Amino acid sequence: MAFSAEEMLALYRKMLLVRRMEEKHGELLASGDIWMMGHFGTGQEAVAIGITAPLKKEDYLFPTHRGVGEFIGKGMVPKDIWAEYYGRTTGLAKGKGGLHLSDVRVGLMGLVGSLGADFAVAVGTALSSKMRGTGQVTMIYFGDGTSNQADFHPSMNLAALWQLPIVFACANNQYSELAHYRETTSTEHIAPRAAGYGVPWKIVEDGNDIQAVYAATAEAVDRARRGEGPTLVEYKTYRIAAHFTGDPGGYQPKEEIEEWKKKDPIDRFRARIIEQKVATADDLENMNREVIAEVEDAVKYAQESPWPAPEDIYQDLYA
Amino acid sequence: MPVITYREALNQALREEMQRDSNVFLMGEDIGLFEGAYKVTAGLFAEFGEKRVRDTPIAEEEIVGLGIGSAMVGLRPVIEIMTINFSLLALDQIVNNAAKLRYMFAGGVQMPLVIRMPEGGGNQLTAQHSQSLAVWFAHVPGLLVVAPSSPADAKGLLKTSIRDNNPVIFIEHFALYNTRGELPDGELLLPIGKADVKRVGEDVTIISHSRMVQVALAAAEQLAGQGISAEVVDLRTLRPLDKETVVNSVRKTSRAVVLEEGWPTYGISAEVTAFVQDMAFDYLDAPIRRIGGAEVPMPYARNVERAAIPSDQTVIAAVKELVA
Ligand SMILES: Cc1ncc(C[n+]2csc(CCOP(=O)(O)OP(=O)(O)O)c2C)c(N)n1
Repeated sequence: MAFSAEEMLALYRKMLLVRRMEEKHGELLASGDIWMMGHFGTGQEAVAIGITAPLKKEDYLFPTHRGVGEFIGKGMVPKDIWAEYYGRTTGLAKGKGGLHLSDVRVGLMGLVGSLGADFAVAVGTALSSKMRGTGQVTMIYFGDGTSNQADFHPSMNLAALWQLPIVFACANNQYSELAHYRETTSTEHIAPRAAGYGVPWKIVEDGNDIQAVYAATAEAVDRARRGEGPTLVEYKTYRIAAHFTGDPGGYQPKEEIEEWKKKDPIDRFRARIIEQKVATADDLENMNREVIAEVEDAVKYAQESPWPAPEDIYQDLYA
Repeated sequence: MPVITYREALNQALREEMQRDSNVFLMGEDIGLFEGAYKVTAGLFAEFGEKRVRDTPIAEEEIVGLGIGSAMVGLRPVIEIMTINFSLLALDQIVNNAAKLRYMFAGGVQMPLVIRMPEGGGNQLTAQHSQSLAVWFAHVPGLLVVAPSSPADAKGLLKTSIRDNNPVIFIEHFALYNTRGELPDGELLLPIGKADVKRVGEDVTIISHSRMVQVALAAAEQLAGQGISAEVVDLRTLRPLDKETVVNSVRKTSRAVVLEEGWPTYGISAEVTAFVQDMAFDYLDAPIRRIGGAEVPMPYARNVERAAIPSDQTVIAAVKELVA
C-alpha cells in the first residue's frame, strides 16, 4: 500500500514532533527545570509512529518506557504530556503519574512499572473487546529485552487459544539497558517464538522505514479486527539515544551509532517526501518551525499550571 | 580508619567473599560488563569473569528461582534485583521456595542465597518504583531480612549474609549509596539479628532502620541544640528483631518514636511498638509514636513526593510532642 500525500505529511509531522519533544525534554533536564529522567526513542520514531498509525482511537495501546513516540502516535497531545511531566494539577494524572502516562480517552492504557507486567493485562483488554463484541484491537508494544519476561509466554498462548484481537509489537532496538540484546537473548530474532504458540509472525527488517512498519502492522491489525487472532511483529531498529538521560553511554560502538544515524527514519522519510514532490524542503522547514512552536507552547502551559497541594495526594485513592 | 561510601562497602564485601569462596557467584541485570544499575558490582566482572558474575535477561522470577536451585546444591548465589519493586515478580519464588524448602525438607538442604535490592523513594520515580517493601519479607518465617544504614554495617552484614546458610533478603536504599562512613580495619563480620545504638541519649529513643536512621540522626542533632537528648537505635536486621537492644534503650529513656519510610499500617513500626509496649510497658511515660510514609501510592510531583516521605522535621515535631 502507498500513503496519500496527506498521510505522509501527517505521519512525518508526528515523527518530527516526537523528536522535538524529546530534545526539549533533554534541554529542560539540563537546565534543571524538570528532574524527571527520559528514556528517549531517538532513531525509533518510524516504529512508534508506524505501528500506531493503523490503530483507531478506540483501540487499546500498551506503550513502552520509551513512550513519547507512541503517546503522540496514539493521539496524546503535547500539553497533556508536559503538564504531567511537570507534575502539575493540569496533567491527566494531576501530577501523580509522571513518566507513567496514561490517556484513556485515546486508548492509552498506561505504562507499567515492571516490564512485562502488561502482557497479561493486554490479553485482558483483548478478551473484553472480544466478549463485548466491540471490534476494538489491543496492541502491546514492548522491547527485545522485555520479551524475556515470563508473562510473554502464557500471554501468547492464551491470545492464540482464545483467538483474541491483539497485536504483539516488538521493537528490537538491539539493546536492553546497557547490554547488547544478544548478551541475554538466545536467538537473533524474537518473532519466530510465536510459531510455538501457533501465532503468525513477521519480521520487519527495516524498522526505520515507516512505510514498511505501517504495512506489516496494518495487516496484523486488520487480521485481529477480522477476529482471526493475534500476530507477533518484530521491527529491527536501533536506539541512537542512550538508555536514559542519566546514562553516560559509551558501550554502543561509535561506528555502529554512526551507521544507524545514516538510516535516521526522519531523514529518510523527509527525503522520500521531497523526492516524491509531496512537499518541498521549505514546506518541511516551515512544518518544523510549527512543531517547535507547538512544543514551546505546551511547555509554557505546563510551567504556568498550578502545583498540587500536599493534601491532594489523598485524592483519587479509592480504597 | 578509612572512610568509604555505602556502595564501596558493599562492593568490598562482595569482592572479599568471592575471593574467599569460589562457590560465591553473582547474578543480575547488567551487573557484569556494566557493573550494575548502581555500580555496586564495579570491577567484579573484570576480576572474576563471566562465569561468576552473570548478566541475566529481564526475568526476575527466573533469576531468583535458579538462584534457589543452585543454592540447594552447593553454590552461594548473590542476586541483585535492580529495585525492590521488581522483586514482586519473584515473590512466589522467595516466599514459597526460598523461605520454606529447608523447613519442608526438615533441614535436608541448605539455602545460602542472598537477594540484594535497593528500596525507597525521593527520586520522582512514582508509585511503582518508589516503594519500601521490607516488611513484606520480614513477615515471612524462614527468611532473614537485613537493612543496614551505614557503610560499615553494609559491609559487615553483607559478608555475614553471604556466609549464612539461610536465604537473606538484603535491603539497600537508593539514597544511601553515596553515604560515607568510617570502616574499621581488618576483617569485618557483623552478626545478623543485632541492633546498634547509633547515638546515645537520655530523653527519648528513636528506633529506625536503613535511610531513616540518617533522618533520625539529623533530627537528634537538631534536638540536641534545643536541649532534648535523643537516643537513636538502628534495627539493622528486621528479621529476627533484636528486641533486647530496643527495649533496653526504651527502659532508659521512657519514650519512643518508631520511624520507617514505608507505609506504617501493619508496618515495621507496628511490630516494634507491639513488643516495646509488651516488654517495657511499666517504663513508658508516654504513648509510643509511629511515623511512616503517607498512606498513598507515591505521588510524582516533586513537592508532594517530599511531603509523602518522613523528614527530620516530622521526627522533631513528634519528639517534641512526647517530651513536652
Ligand atoms: C521487571 C523490571 N525489571 C527491570 C526493569 C528496569 N528496566 C527499565 S528499562 C529496562 C530495559 C528494557 O529493555 P527493552 O525491553 O529491550 O527496551 P528498550 O529499553 O531497549 O527500549 C530495564 C531492565 C523494569 N522496569 N522492570
